[in-house]
Amino acid sequence: MKIKATVIPVLFAFLLFSGLMSEAQAQEREITGTVTAASSGEPLPGVTVLVQGSQGIGTATDGQGNYSISVPDQYDVLVFSYVGYVSQEVTIGDQTEINVQLQEDVQQLEDVVVVGYGSRIKEEVTGNISSVSGDEISQVPVNSVESAIQGQSAGVFVNSSNGKLGQGIQMRIRGSSSISASSEPLYVIDGVPMVSSNESFNGAPTNPLADLNFNDIESIDILKDASAAAIYGSRASNGVVIITTKGGQSGETQFNLNYQTGFSNPTRTRDWLNGEEYIELFTEAAANYPGGDLSGAYIEGQFDSFSSGTDWRNGEVNSDWQDEAFQDASINKFDLSASGGNDKTTFYVSGSYSDEEGILIRNSFERISGRLNLDHKVNDNLRLGTNLSLARTVNNRVSNDNGFATPMQLVALPPITPIYEPDQDALPNYQPTDQLNNNTLYFNNLLYKDNAKYQVTNYRNVGNAFAEYDLSNNLVWRSEFGIDLLELNGEEYYNSQVARNTGAPLGLGYNRFVRRGNYNTNHYLTFNTSLAENHNLEAIGGFEYQYTQRDETWVQGENFPNDDFQQVADAALLTGGTATETAYSFLSYFSRANYDYNGKYLLTLSARIDGSSRFSDENQYGFFPAASAGWVISDEDFLADLETISFLKLRASYGITGNAEIGNFPSQGLFGSSTYSRISGIQPIQIENQDLKWEQTAQLDFGVDFGLFEDRITGEVDYYIKNTEDLLLNVNVPGATGYSVQTQNLGKLENKGFELVLNSVNSVGEFAWNTSFNFSINRNKVTDIDGQVIEGGYINRAVEGEAIGVFFAREFAGANPANGDAIYFLNRDPSQAELDNGTVFQVNEMHGDRYVTNSFNAAERVVIGNPNPDFTGGLSNRFQYKGFDLNVLFQFVYGNDIYNGGGRFQSASADYFDNQTRDQYTDRWQEPGDITDVPQARLFGANGTGDSSRYLSDGSYLRLKKVTFGYNLPASTLETIGLSKARVYLSGVNLLTFTDYEGWDPEVNTDYLSGGNLSLGNDFYSAPQARTITLGLNVGF
Amino acid sequence: MEYSIMKNKLFLGIFAICMLVVTSCNDLLDVEPKQSISADQALDTPQKVEAAVIGAYDDLSSVDLLGGTLIYGSDLLGDDGSVTWFGTFSQPDELWSKTILTDNSFVRDVWLQGYETIDATNNALSALDVIEDADMRDRVEGQAKLIRGIVYFELVRFFGRDWADGDPSQNPGIPIVLEPTRDFENPPTTRNSVEEVYTQVIDDLTDAKALLPSSIEIDNTVLGNTYVASAYLSRVYLQQREYEDAGSEAGRVINSGNYSLTPLVSGAFNNPTNSTEDVFAIQVSDQDGANDMNTFYAGSQHSGREDIELTGFFDLFTGLFDAADDTRDDFIHFGASFGGPLTSKWTNFRNGNINIVRLAEMYLTRGEASFRTGTDINGVPPEDDFNMIRDRAGQEDIDAADINLDYIFTERYLELAFEGHILHDIKRFERSASGFAWNAPELIFPIPQREIDASGGDLEQNAGYGS
Repeated sequence: MKIKATVIPVLFAFLLFSGLMSEAQAQEREITGTVTAASSGEPLPGVTVLVQGSQGIGTATDGQGNYSISVPDQYDVLVFSYVGYVSQEVTIGDQTEINVQLQEDVQQLEDVVVVGYGSRIKEEVTGNISSVSGDEISQVPVNSVESAIQGQSAGVFVNSSNGKLGQGIQMRIRGSSSISASSEPLYVIDGVPMVSSNESFNGAPTNPLADLNFNDIESIDILKDASAAAIYGSRASNGVVIITTKGGQSGETQFNLNYQTGFSNPTRTRDWLNGEEYIELFTEAAANYPGGDLSGAYIEGQFDSFSSGTDWRNGEVNSDWQDEAFQDASINKFDLSASGGNDKTTFYVSGSYSDEEGILIRNSFERISGRLNLDHKVNDNLRLGTNLSLARTVNNRVSNDNGFATPMQLVALPPITPIYEPDQDALPNYQPTDQLNNNTLYFNNLLYKDNAKYQVTNYRNVGNAFAEYDLSNNLVWRSEFGIDLLELNGEEYYNSQVARNTGAPLGLGYNRFVRRGNYNTNHYLTFNTSLAENHNLEAIGGFEYQYTQRDETWVQGENFPNDDFQQVADAALLTGGTATETAYSFLSYFSRANYDYNGKYLLTLSARIDGSSRFSDENQYGFFPAASAGWVISDEDFLADLETISFLKLRASYGITGNAEIGNFPSQGLFGSSTYSRISGIQPIQIENQDLKWEQTAQLDFGVDFGLFEDRITGEVDYYIKNTEDLLLNVNVPGATGYSVQTQNLGKLENKGFELVLNSVNSVGEFAWNTSFNFSINRNKVTDIDGQVIEGGYINRAVEGEAIGVFFAREFAGANPANGDAIYFLNRDPSQAELDNGTVFQVNEMHGDRYVTNSFNAAERVVIGNPNPDFTGGLSNRFQYKGFDLNVLFQFVYGNDIYNGGGRFQSASADYFDNQTRDQYTDRWQEPGDITDVPQARLFGANGTGDSSRYLSDGSYLRLKKVTFGYNLPASTLETIGLSKARVYLSGVNLLTFTDYEGWDPEVNTDYLSGGNLSLGNDFYSAPQARTITLGLNVGF
Repeated sequence: MEYSIMKNKLFLGIFAICMLVVTSCNDLLDVEPKQSISADQALDTPQKVEAAVIGAYDDLSSVDLLGGTLIYGSDLLGDDGSVTWFGTFSQPDELWSKTILTDNSFVRDVWLQGYETIDATNNALSALDVIEDADMRDRVEGQAKLIRGIVYFELVRFFGRDWADGDPSQNPGIPIVLEPTRDFENPPTTRNSVEEVYTQVIDDLTDAKALLPSSIEIDNTVLGNTYVASAYLSRVYLQQREYEDAGSEAGRVINSGNYSLTPLVSGAFNNPTNSTEDVFAIQVSDQDGANDMNTFYAGSQHSGREDIELTGFFDLFTGLFDAADDTRDDFIHFGASFGGPLTSKWTNFRNGNINIVRLAEMYLTRGEASFRTGTDINGVPPEDDFNMIRDRAGQEDIDAADINLDYIFTERYLELAFEGHILHDIKRFERSASGFAWNAPELIFPIPQREIDASGGDLEQNAGYGS
């Protein structure tokens, strides 16, 4: 069927092919020279020198920028190219020495972008693809690649859940296009679709990309619109991130060594009550206890207990618990790579080691990784290669944000509580012993330091092998086989000293092993031809199969002989265990055709058919077509004379993509096993839904690419509308059915937005200055969920007509000036009875004639905020002067709200004994007439502790995200010490944060709730982000 | 050149073969679950149908039902000053302070887990035809109905008004569902009356009583028998103020000869296997089962959180009770973390069975029934039943003349405290809890907000919980 269609052009090709075979062996001449940078005059090592028209005759410059090449007589042009510089063609003529000065590349339009199953020149691309080069992200002292590109791509929103290392990061490309299915993009690394689901088992997602050493990355291409992404069909609704790793270039082997060392600390901290304030506030709160005055013996007894007998009346102990949660964190990274090769074989080999400590105590991340990328030309027609990476990561984790054991929850402990057990003989004076205090209000998780272990070790192997064969000079067959293998071993052990938190008096241990194997194979033909003069066609067609299997075993043991034994094997009692297996597969056929007339009129058509094991037989396959067109107006005669406009392209695209990122068996009716004591049984767990099918997103994109003043200013403007329908929605069903949700195709949502990218070359020459700016607006709206109420997080909801995840709760109205009660806006019409009995009233001096109530249940819930930003973006400036360079990136997020789920404990009008934020003391209502947002302090009074806008705050921020200041040793010096490059640099990440956010850091989404799409913008004792400063040394030789 | 074309053909051939192999293999997309089975084959053998009943027990034992909320939820919502909630979980706190919010997730989960259990029993009952062996069929049907009856009874008394509070035929109860759910076309969204639910409960329990044998035990796991059905029927009749029936069902349990009081109060609790006194207990093993009473009541030395302190409990030992000698007064421990007094009824986190019905309750029920009806049910005068309990606790015998409702209420509380009886007893005795009258709307769970929402607003909310 499909075969026939390709056989005909193949036969054609053979005829053309035969003409090329009759060339005779020719004479050669030797050309030598030096390549330098035009701006600095420094020699450039590693510049590729190719003989134009030849099948791969070429070399590369050595460490001093010198080259030497034999050129057969029939060729007369050399091409010099180097990343970041404008390629230059030189006609040889009679010359034997050719010295070349390469201009730095001020325009990005001729860059090559990776489009999925191939690559294209950016100028000719009709879809929207955002590229980040490896240079931009290499040596940034962050934990993973997403953090490294944060703020650098329009339409790509990156948000880490908190400041723990190895922790999950949310990436949204052009908004969330689903409610219940995943909204994370598809990651493809060197052609292998990665499994990016996380394997955490403490409820806080980990980052599946943290296993990747991003210094190996050559480029990241983010496919945003349907035309670009639809080639990945059912996997592409959330965009596709294509990661290409570095390859070698022929020439002398280049070594590159990089070492970085530095430290991290938290971006922001919060103010808590000191001991004196705590006592004053809680004495007052006790007096206001609704059941009677508790301010005497009762509260003093509590203080005696919290202070472990130390003299709280005279401020004997004043602990800063927040400070205890953090540590001085060191960071060390070491990379060594070698690349080179000859005209047959090129390679890139690298090894790296990085060791990071978290800003939180007990948190660290270590990664050791290696990579081999190899390309080999067997003969003129056949090329083989492999990209192989191996990594081992060791993550010492801490509990999720909702555990007493997470360091941040230490802030809840009263400041009068000593950190160490007091010496009993010295009481009431505080003489700390070396025993950590175990008689604290909540578990003192500092005890975990020596008594607990929570370590996750990953082995991650991502690799592929490919073969490419020229069936003719315009038909290429490529086959790839790839594997993404993760083996994970998680070990947890808690000894008897921390039984208070674990509930296991004789120790508790877990061991969990997960193997997730994902193999992928794809085969496709690329056909390239000029149909006639100026009519160019490139077409691909092929198929792909992916199979992913996940196996897990887990065992839990208790009762260890003593605290020295830590393996589950030592446990007397096995108290839990399981072994499970699950799998899914995709089978896909894809094709794409790019046509252009003279590089001026561009057209791309693509189609993909995807089959997924997740759906029933009738609904297994989906069809995903896309079309796009571009018009390079600047090539038209009527614009040719216009000096200002050097490049102008209009493009439009439309296509359909899909999403199937849901559970593996959602369409089947299932019974699962269950256990009652020692007997096993079965239980219904899922009602079948044979109609279940893909979620589909239709996306329309209009864009303009432009270059002004000889491309000194370039940019892109895009407008898009993404409409998702047949949402794969976990629909709430009435509980009386015995079920709570079913995955159905129900509902629609829309994302529309605007993106602007501007790059300008402000100054060239000795002082070089470039600016890049990106700006994105995305408006998400749930257009139809059939009246469903779908909840997530604390108060997040999907509400028709609102953005996904809006905060839906009661609207807090402050403290009733009359009596200090927490009051809420009624947000509905009051009944006469409510007005008569006084539960509903007006507080004119605060809220005019709006009705308020002190009855939490009586107030209506309304949309009180939106976790989605109004706009996001980044601004980067690069300066270069002589050997110095400075790179400054600002990143901003504006208009989003954050809900602090921990507010009901932290800022709760002294409802319970948790230490309070300072505003609860300074701003509290104390006497009639006080106008304030902090209700009267009432112990056990629940005065305003329900979910309401009291705990909502503006999450906008502007951040000095990244600063790198470097110095490159001049070539003259280098030569004397035999190096090709030496650079010293200082890097900083998250150096400054400007925000009104009341909590720690506005880049947050509490980890234990961050799994779903609705649960957005929540904070719960979430660690702030790390501010990191490193000093680095980069040497090439 | 010949060679090249040969090679091209060869490669093209390989490509074509690859393609054909892949396209012809539709089973590349056939991936079946490994840990679960298709619903079509789930209930097609007698063993599988019986396994579905075990699944229903597992549901029943969850921390949302008898393993937790149904027990401590009654203790907290019905508390009249005996305990103080000190924990940080706001959901139980709302129960204790009688200010339940409609989105209280513990309350929501009682509803969800309750109906999940009911659906599990309905599944088993729908497949009885598969079982040809009559004994086995009776056993399966009896247990399914026992569990269903228990769950409906527990749900209706938490989510509906008390039987004697107004007209039970008019008061909304909960939806009755008797068929397994096969789709979500017409989900149940209307509440049957309290009376209808009680009728269903009595039907189920009466059937169970007739169908079940006097003992079922598999692998050291004791399942419900005919006396469990009677014991629950005695609770149902008590709640309906049908004292004669309540007394005779309790008497049936007492007279069965299956059970005897443990010599010491402490012997009745925290046992890895049923004590002689356990009529019905949720079975917990090292590997399976959870117990939220332990979580909230016990001291940290017993893996608990020390959330519920016995602040006012000891004040009850006055009048006809001698605190000094009462072993129930002593059956406490002090929390290792906060030092407060805590009940010792729930201190075996690992494998203690969860007492649901103890023989002691049956004596108290029969005694009360005899007293209220003025007859000696089973020929036993009420003081004899009460003295069974008092003797064991180290108290002096009580005289018939001293027995009155206040005494009975207090004796029941001292004996059955922290075992989930108090809320329902306050309603039965028409007393009050921390100032809330027995029929106050605050002492009834709200219909969970999620249920109102999922029903599109069709499900009626209880009074006192907003619109």
